[in-house]
Amino acid sequence: MSDDKRAAIPHGLQEAGGLTDGIARQLSRESGVPEADIYGVGSFFHLLARPSAKIRVCTGLSCVMSGANEVLEAAKKAGLPCEATSCLAGCDLPPAVLRDRRVLPSVSIADVERTGGDWEQLDSSAIAPGEEWRGFVGPERTNPDELALDLLGPDDKSGKSFQRAVELGANGVIEAIESSGLQGRGGAGFPAHIKWRGVQGQSETKRYVVLNADEGEPGTFKDREVMLRRPYLMLEGLAIAAHAIGASEVYLYLRGEFEVPWGIVERAIADVTERGIYGDLQFHMHAGQGAYICGEETALLEALEGKRGMPRLKPPFPVEVGLWGKPTLIHNVETIACVPSIVARGGDWFRELGRAEAGTKLYCISGHVKQPGTYELPLGITLDELLEVAGGVIGKLKAFSPGGASSGFLPASKRDLPLDFKSLGSVGSMLGSSGVVVLNDTVDMKWAALEQLRFFEAESCGQCAPCRIGTRYLREATEDNLDHGAAGGTTARGLAHVADVAWQMNEGSICGLGQAAPLPLTSALQYFPEDFQS
Amino acid sequence: MIQETQIRINGEKHSFRPGETILDVAGRAGVEIPTLCHDPRLKPAGACRTCLVEVEGQRKLLPACATPATTDMAVVSESERVDRHRKTLLALYATDHPSNREASERGAPDELLDMIENYRAPTDWGAMASVRANRHDDRNPYIHFEPDTCILCARCTRYCDEVEAVSAITLAGRGSETTISTVDGLSLLDTSCEMCGGCIDVCPTGAMGEKMPLTRGDKPERELEKVRSTCNFCGVGCQVDLNVDREADDGAGRIVKVTSPPTGTTTNDGNLCVKGRFAYDFVHHPDRLKVPLVRGADGEFYETSWEDALQKAAAGLQGVSERHGKNGLGFVSSSRCTVEENYLVQKLSRAVFGTNNVHQCAAT
Amino acid sequence: MTNSIGEIRDADVLFVIGSNTSEAHPIIAMEMKRAVKRGATLIVADPRAVWMTTIAEKHLQLKPGTDVWLLNAMAHVIIEEGLTDDAFIAENTEGFDAVRERVKSYTPEEAEKVTGIAADDIRFAARKYATTEKAGIYYTLGITEHTHGTDNVYALANLVLMTGHLGKPSSGMNPLRGQNNVQGANDAGATPVFYPGYQHVTDPEAQAKYEAAWGVELSPEPGLDLNVMMKEVGKSIFGLFVMGEDILLSEPNVKKLEEGMNRCEFLVLQDAFMNETARFADVIFPASVFAEKEGVFTNSERRVQRIRKAVEPPGQARADWEILTSLANACGADWSYSGADEIYDEIAKHAPSFAGISHARIDSEVHRGKTGIQWPCPTPEHPGTVYLHENGVMRGKGLFSAVDYRPSNELPDEEYGLFLSTGRTLYHYNCATQTRRESGLDEKQPENFIEIHPRDAKKRGISTDDRVEVSTRRGAVEVRAIVSRQVRPGCTWMPLHFAESRANLLTNDAGDAVTNTAEYKVCAAEVKRIAAKDSETPRFPGTYYSVTGPN
Ligand SMILES: Cc1cc2nc3c(=O)[nH]c(=O)nc-3n(C[C@H](O)[C@H](O)[C@H](O)COP(=O)(O)O)c2cc1C
Ligand code: SF4
Ligand code: SF4
Ligand code: SF4
Ligand code: FES
Repeated sequence: MSDDKRAAIPHGLQEAGGLTDGIARQLSRESGVPEADIYGVGSFFHLLARPSAKIRVCTGLSCVMSGANEVLEAAKKAGLPCEATSCLAGCDLPPAVLRDRRVLPSVSIADVERTGGDWEQLDSSAIAPGEEWRGFVGPERTNPDELALDLLGPDDKSGKSFQRAVELGANGVIEAIESSGLQGRGGAGFPAHIKWRGVQGQSETKRYVVLNADEGEPGTFKDREVMLRRPYLMLEGLAIAAHAIGASEVYLYLRGEFEVPWGIVERAIADVTERGIYGDLQFHMHAGQGAYICGEETALLEALEGKRGMPRLKPPFPVEVGLWGKPTLIHNVETIACVPSIVARGGDWFRELGRAEAGTKLYCISGHVKQPGTYELPLGITLDELLEVAGGVIGKLKAFSPGGASSGFLPASKRDLPLDFKSLGSVGSMLGSSGVVVLNDTVDMKWAALEQLRFFEAESCGQCAPCRIGTRYLREATEDNLDHGAAGGTTARGLAHVADVAWQMNEGSICGLGQAAPLPLTSALQYFPEDFQS
Repeated sequence: MIQETQIRINGEKHSFRPGETILDVAGRAGVEIPTLCHDPRLKPAGACRTCLVEVEGQRKLLPACATPATTDMAVVSESERVDRHRKTLLALYATDHPSNREASERGAPDELLDMIENYRAPTDWGAMASVRANRHDDRNPYIHFEPDTCILCARCTRYCDEVEAVSAITLAGRGSETTISTVDGLSLLDTSCEMCGGCIDVCPTGAMGEKMPLTRGDKPERELEKVRSTCNFCGVGCQVDLNVDREADDGAGRIVKVTSPPTGTTTNDGNLCVKGRFAYDFVHHPDRLKVPLVRGADGEFYETSWEDALQKAAAGLQGVSERHGKNGLGFVSSSRCTVEENYLVQKLSRAVFGTNNVHQCAAT
Repeated sequence: MTNSIGEIRDADVLFVIGSNTSEAHPIIAMEMKRAVKRGATLIVADPRAVWMTTIAEKHLQLKPGTDVWLLNAMAHVIIEEGLTDDAFIAENTEGFDAVRERVKSYTPEEAEKVTGIAADDIRFAARKYATTEKAGIYYTLGITEHTHGTDNVYALANLVLMTGHLGKPSSGMNPLRGQNNVQGANDAGATPVFYPGYQHVTDPEAQAKYEAAWGVELSPEPGLDLNVMMKEVGKSIFGLFVMGEDILLSEPNVKKLEEGMNRCEFLVLQDAFMNETARFADVIFPASVFAEKEGVFTNSERRVQRIRKAVEPPGQARADWEILTSLANACGADWSYSGADEIYDEIAKHAPSFAGISHARIDSEVHRGKTGIQWPCPTPEHPGTVYLHENGVMRGKGLFSAVDYRPSNELPDEEYGLFLSTGRTLYHYNCATQTRRESGLDEKQPENFIEIHPRDAKKRGISTDDRVEVSTRRGAVEVRAIVSRQVRPGCTWMPLHFAESRANLLTNDAGDAVTNTAEYKVCAAEVKRIAAKDSETPRFPGTYYSVTGPN
């Protein structure tokens, strides 16, 4: 059985209509991959594990605040084969609903009722029939020379920056990346050039570039916009990276719910391949199958290899031991999309665009805000500056998450903190994926924390005990508090051990999911203790 | 040349060979580090998190089972931080696991409960009901999976893949509902499972257990006496521990189950196959011959005394020898019997009856 | 085995021939799997796609009984390409020239025609084996249970000797013993030509030694081996003592044996269970099973290991050694053993290979992390021998033997159009007197079956689970059919464990010229459908892994 056959398993299950009885055995006969392994993979990914659910309503925080639960109820009543799901990267157009593998924005109860129970009839009345939708992007395009991604600009198909990269040579490119100060935009903010040099310096010559387009952090939808608006920019970034580190193959891992971006990227790949502007560089597309954890880079590699998406132990890092054990450079979509302009205009130009940290940043904003959307702004602006371009808060600001669920909550008093990696890290939060969610004073923070805990529990891979047991424990303890107040409930559990559990999850978990999962609860307890007294 | 280098554990220097993990070195040095998902036969998974230790220069605690020793590494396995880690981790485990031994130790001993006791972890954080799916309708006769006691260390699934190489079981589902399953939740009988029972052997909590003793309601393993012996089936000669209930059958003793000796101590390295591990029913089978039998004039068998049977056998064999000569007799001995018994059969044939017509019944 | 089980995991090439290792020797198979996971190359030569082929680099699916062709062709390649270990040959062996001459005509291309294995695959196997230092050969009954079984073994030995794969770790020539104590029974002298420790009965010195030890006169005339003995029952053999075996189930061509049995005058049977042979017994002694007595078993790697009494035997049953002692004394001898340890001491006293071994030593010592002692072990201080021939070939020089291919005794023809082989399955054990009393094993494999290739099945209108009649010149049995690509087109395979449809009613008792071992592995058979399947649920679910083979 070859690596390729195993890697093809998730797709094979998707083609077969998901994991139904007998499918694993059949695929095993065809591929030689053990049938139990196939079953284990199928059961891991929600899109495969429960193929009968054709309609999935996002119950991420922003969508729930826009009536997602009511839409779900209506869908159930209408007899649609439906269930709740984790964030669909459509927080700017809530509530988002997944029809099979296509995200529909702003679905209303009326939309649901109109189906008459036929899930294929579900559509969003917010978009014209047959029309592709995009999110709002701002601010207005006044000076393109100050934008690294320039989402509203034309998508350059010429491959000019790649030509420039070839002229600069691998070292020249990596030097430009280094002087640009580019940090990873996927969440960790790790300096990009260190990874590039790391792969470049390996003795193994078979290397890979992997694109992380699994965008799943609640509150985040920027990568979606990059793919919808500037697929060529992204491909050029990948081609430059491959050239610099000596890779001849690029793997693109798009979350399975990105049916629309998939089509756009696929067409762009066909075009650049046909025109041969990147030589023999091969692009392979791989669809995620419904698992937030596969955004974690090593879980993503496992999923690419056709296995259950369980993060690997680090060290060793992918730079040394990555896809199929080979040195691998993994980047987020946004990080990669910064590369062409860095190469074209120079590292210094990029660095100067930011404030304390380098470059412009795609900030996503959703929740109680007048104009939700993706905004390209200097890295390090404050929440107030962001709110200003996004039309301001609806109601009175109570709290916000600066970088998705994993960043926990901050109180309104932190509104003038620079939204960058260092400043937010210093207050025990993080910039993460810069998915800003705004909450006004109608929100009970215990409830908000519980929503986030549910998310982490549902998305934990279950591999390591602190996270597997801890996420569930915290969720049950919070529900217990919700039901029984500060005194604690029948299980005498309450919130008495939250600090210890959170400490353990942070120390003991294998990956960032388990380490960050307690943060919504602990930060809510820290900043809004009164919400837990009732 | 094997390169010898040193690491420090709790301040003391220990040498190591390339490829060894912190746990390997600690084990040799007699430094105790708790483990649940580790098994020397398997690649490290680092999933149970019990073995985390401090390593100088590392922000995070690292799993001793999976972290290679490197030159001049400084490891701390006993500290306030490590102790808090062990206590809080085990306390979390306890919320998701039966707390009393009656419930969790119906079969094999439960290492998790031992560990909770040893490290004095709190057990008052409340209890959560198990949400792991069971397969109690599996009609396979040998292997029982009890999800309540499963801690998802994945030793069983890794064993099935890495050692037995049949991959009949897998981690299934995800998050807190992760469980151990077969393809489509089928009975093990309907899968590639070869019933080696390795999953039972590696399971630290007894969640994978032997079905027959559970069904029969035998005593738990802790109360059984282990008698080391050799499997009586094929020529590999695996060492087995016969687990005997001494009081059963009016003091005659009864084999309740067979377990394999620890890894690294015998030829079979802790492994057994289906026959060695499970095929012991025949010992106590009602069909066993219990009394000497002689054929009567009517052609039927009759029970008789040992003395009578021995006399009749001696006379019969001697008679043939007298009538047809020494080589009119043949002795068939058995490769199933002991060396000593085979020796006696050939001695009987050669020294008592004077013929070399003796052979064991097996070609190789 | 010249080498040890523990060395397998470190091997770089495993050449496995005529061995369904994962079913017959599961734990050895585990070691092989471990080696393969580590990167070792596994080459399996077998007419059937046994489980091990699923992880093998190459499966040489030869036509039954053509082993000599394959092995000689491998030798041909090794010699032709200059891959022999000439220093080893010069120093340690005799007779290489004859082999060199003999295999000249065994070209891979000709071999392909006879064996059905592609010439390039033969070359691959030969090169890989010859050029890898840690390369071992492993074989079982698939090699020996032929009329030319000895030739097969010689042809294998030739490969080992010409490449110098002897006396080194993870190499050698390794027969895997089918039963727990085959090795030990041979060691103990339960053979018509040897006293304990392989001291020949025709050797006057050995005879004198044992005459002195036992205080009686002994016969210098070699006895009959089992296959001949069984054919002589009712002809020259009229009395039998049978311990722990069901010869009526395990011997080939039982019909003939039963006829002989009717003329047998006296039969003593010593067993833990009633069996088929009991139909002819005059006296039956109730014996013990392994868990009820003390003693030793010797495994395939010559490791002498203890069995210990864990429970009491039922009723009046006694340990076999006690019964044998009483029987000898009833016959006028004067044996007085207090226990199995004392018997072992007597064995060790007169057989130098075991001189250093005793129960007490096995009980108290651990060598290289393992219990048990591997003979040769000449003194109480000797740690035992992990692999043989470390310092040159034991007892003089290794002998090459030039062998030629001889077809099997009975080949398919008009009347009986298919090959039939028999063998073991994982779930049962030989006559299955023990395993079939095990409800669990019986559930996994409740009844006998025959594997037949889809092509042959189609011709005969047979589908899986149909009931079929399998017949040979010697008899017929009724079993269930499994249509499977595990067997080659033209071949069938059947397990030998089932009393109610005995495979050995079918098998050929023609014996090997030297060892007289019967040809269980090849005979001609025909298969006829007699009834359709009786239920929709497959009877042998899941045991069959996917095999891709010729359609
Ligand atoms: C639980 C978890 C989820 C993650 N999800 C994503 C994601 O959806 N997209 C992404 O680009 N990075 C995600 N990451 C970060 C990746 O692990 C990794 O740091 C990133 O792909 C590296 O690319 P960058 O250097 O360009 O940021 C996630 C990390 C964790 C711990
Ligand atoms: S922290 Fe959670 S998501 Fe990450 S490896 Fe552990 S169980 Fe899986
Ligand atoms: S059944 Fe046992 S070995 Fe398997 S995962 Fe659960 S606790 Fe571990
Ligand atoms: S356990 Fe299995 S492999 Fe081991 S000796 Fe017994 S039958 Fe053979
Ligand atoms: S033993 Fe190291 S993590 Fe389990």
